[in-house]
Amino acid sequence: MHIHPLERRWIYVVLAVIGIFLLAIFYTAIARNIHPPSHIETIDSASLHLSEEFAEDKLGVWTQPDGTIKVTLVAARYGFYPREIQLPAGTQVTFRIASADVLHGIHIPMTNMGTMVVPGYVSEITTTFPKPGEYPMLCNEYCGLGHDHMWSKVTVVAKESWPAAPNAQPVRR
Amino acid sequence: MTASTETDRPGVGEQASVRPAMSRKAEELDRTWYSPSGFFGWFTQVNHRMIGKRFIITSFIFFLMAGIESLLLRTQLAVPENSFLTPDHFNQLFTMHGSTMMFFFAVPMMEGLGIYVVPLMIGTRDMAFPRLNAFGYYVYLIAGVTLYAAGFLGHAPDGGWFAYVPLTLTQYSPGLGLDFWATMITFIEISALVAAVELIVTIFKQRAPGMSLNRMPLFVWAMLVTMFMIVFAMPPLMVGSVMLALDRTVSTHFFMTSGGGEPLLWQHLFWFFGHPEVYIILVPALGVISSIVVTFARRPIFGYTAMVLSVVAIGFVAFGLWVHHMFTTGLPTLGVSFFTAASVMIAVPSGVQIFCWIATLWGAKLRFATPLLFVLGFFFIFVLGGLTGVMVASVPFDTQVHDTYFLVAHFHYVLIGGAVFPVFGAIYYWFPKVFGCMLNETAGKWSFVLMFVGFNMSFFPMHQLGLQGMPRRVYTYLSESGWFELSLLATIGAYVFALGVLVTAVDALLSFLRKPDAPDNPWGGDTLEWATSSPPPNYNFEDIPVVRGRWALWERGEEPAGTVVGLRSGRREVLVTTLLDAEPHAVAILPGPTIWPFLSAVAVAAGFLGFIRHPIWFPIGLLLTFVGFVGWLWPRAVGGSAEEEQAR
Repeated sequence: MHIHPLERRWIYVVLAVIGIFLLAIFYTAIARNIHPPSHIETIDSASLHLSEEFAEDKLGVWTQPDGTIKVTLVAARYGFYPREIQLPAGTQVTFRIASADVLHGIHIPMTNMGTMVVPGYVSEITTTFPKPGEYPMLCNEYCGLGHDHMWSKVTVVAKESWPAAPNAQPVRR
Repeated sequence: MTASTETDRPGVGEQASVRPAMSRKAEELDRTWYSPSGFFGWFTQVNHRMIGKRFIITSFIFFLMAGIESLLLRTQLAVPENSFLTPDHFNQLFTMHGSTMMFFFAVPMMEGLGIYVVPLMIGTRDMAFPRLNAFGYYVYLIAGVTLYAAGFLGHAPDGGWFAYVPLTLTQYSPGLGLDFWATMITFIEISALVAAVELIVTIFKQRAPGMSLNRMPLFVWAMLVTMFMIVFAMPPLMVGSVMLALDRTVSTHFFMTSGGGEPLLWQHLFWFFGHPEVYIILVPALGVISSIVVTFARRPIFGYTAMVLSVVAIGFVAFGLWVHHMFTTGLPTLGVSFFTAASVMIAVPSGVQIFCWIATLWGAKLRFATPLLFVLGFFFIFVLGGLTGVMVASVPFDTQVHDTYFLVAHFHYVLIGGAVFPVFGAIYYWFPKVFGCMLNETAGKWSFVLMFVGFNMSFFPMHQLGLQGMPRRVYTYLSESGWFELSLLATIGAYVFALGVLVTAVDALLSFLRKPDAPDNPWGGDTLEWATSSPPPNYNFEDIPVVRGRWALWERGEEPAGTVVGLRSGRREVLVTTLLDAEPHAVAILPGPTIWPFLSAVAVAAGFLGFIRHPIWFPIGLLLTFVGFVGWLWPRAVGGSAEEEQAR
């Protein structure tokens, strides 16, 4: 097959560039042991009730040893459990959410609280509520017939008037 | 021309000043390229204009259906705690609205425009594989009709047009609705891929002599890029929808978490198709706009090379965006940053397009006919949609508006602005060519004003609703939410928009029934489709033209352009030209009308639909399709003597 010499030269250039890229990837991955950042936490959606963290009595608001707050939630058709939570304003809150059935979303309007809750995975998101008030917590991923009334209430109160949550037990993973 | 003088190779000759055999040639061509009529004839037609027209009309009917569905949805959402529809119907309606608009309106409409206009624009008599073309149409028709028939018989899908697993698996969605959906989506992908192969080959190999790649009209370029995108974007969805169908019918575990499946895999497959899909719809519209802008500004486009390169760039970058639909799934930050960058980057080639059009329009003597009005409407709406697009490309912003009405507003601005307005422009622009009569200008202007006002009234408030937190796909909302007034405004806007569509639909219907009286080139366009009569004859061009520049008709001037000589009129011959420079290269003989593409499409449909009931239908369908293809490819006489055949 006849290839124009100029074209041939450019083919070599392209092959060389691809080769360099591949070498760079393999070098960083194998020799330097650098991988894309990832933090995947999986969980068996069918047996949440048996899990260490998402069993029914483990759900809700917990105070962490460092003073921040952890909220464990289960999203299931058609609600977030526990149904109502109370949080202090101006404190860092980490939500850990698992789905018991299908794909759900969690969204608190006017805040940066927005994540998908993918069955099989634990979703974690951290936020701070600056102002006291009542915030609706909505499911924003279509999850079936009752999707429109899958929402619950987050009551944010001033830090002083917040009844402290129980301390979190260390969770084995 | 008679067959006996037909021994020399086809080439380019100057236009003869006297052509005594002209009418005889036209008569012979007419006989050769004849399409059968009547009820049975309908199933055997393979001509690209017939097929293209069918694609356009069928997809327009689906557009009206999906439009009625959206009106029902908006009526339900007009007031809080409404019970106009049941939640069940609501879910089915928004699923069908999305699926219809994306799969049964937008893509087939663009394919139809391409199939009709491209061969005329590049100056050939038919497309490369006429029977495949017909097959693609029947597959599309069967898919659309089946999905709707199933819906009316109580098996409507209700998983959303995106059909996120695991909600759409049998465990959570029993019943046949989603089986029909998954199967028919697979099915319609076949139609799109067929059209893509068809158009790519036709554009590459059948351009009129002299129409080198760098002289191709921008509409043809846009179609070429789109069809390549279809070739790469549709197979992932086909794989995905087949996996979904298998999960549902034979209980495989591709997506089921409890069986070790991966729900995110579906999202990746779906959006790897779904995002390029948006550009598959947009890019042909960009081509339409380039055609209209050039014609109504009455001057060549500003920056032809930049326009072509930016369309190609859009085609490439469109494949690097899909994860921006999945920003809230919790993917690694490094990964999503890449997709943010790509999502912002695609605004650059889109901007190049807009600026080139503005530069073309700037200072030109504009002719404010309806097609141009729709293009100007496109500028306003699409740029707004593009701006919100850059906003949601940023992850922190996206997490706050993900799946709220802000997104609904954004993509309707992009899709209605980027596809529906140009398509309506295209309808007004090419209607005289396709049906031989002009659409009413007054009706066109009314239609545009109603659509433009109605659209903005309907979708602009949704930005605000979304920022207030109203989630998508909710059946109803509480009155305390404060979403009532804006929702009502959106509903009124939707009805105004629908009225505008209705004006065009009625006008088109009335004009369709009128006697053809349009001139060949009513708008003074520059591309080759305006060189033939309106509507074009069976054979498109009596003499295949030779192209001397980018603006084929405008550059003819006083000097007569050449025509192709040496193509036989007695059988379906088309000129094959070289890929880059479009030099005459060979002659291809196209097949004539046949029933087999229709029967093959029915056979494939039997296999696909039967599979929903029982896997045994898979081999049965294969066998039937095989029979269909054998009939389709059965060797046939092509006319002309045996020696001549060997000589070729």
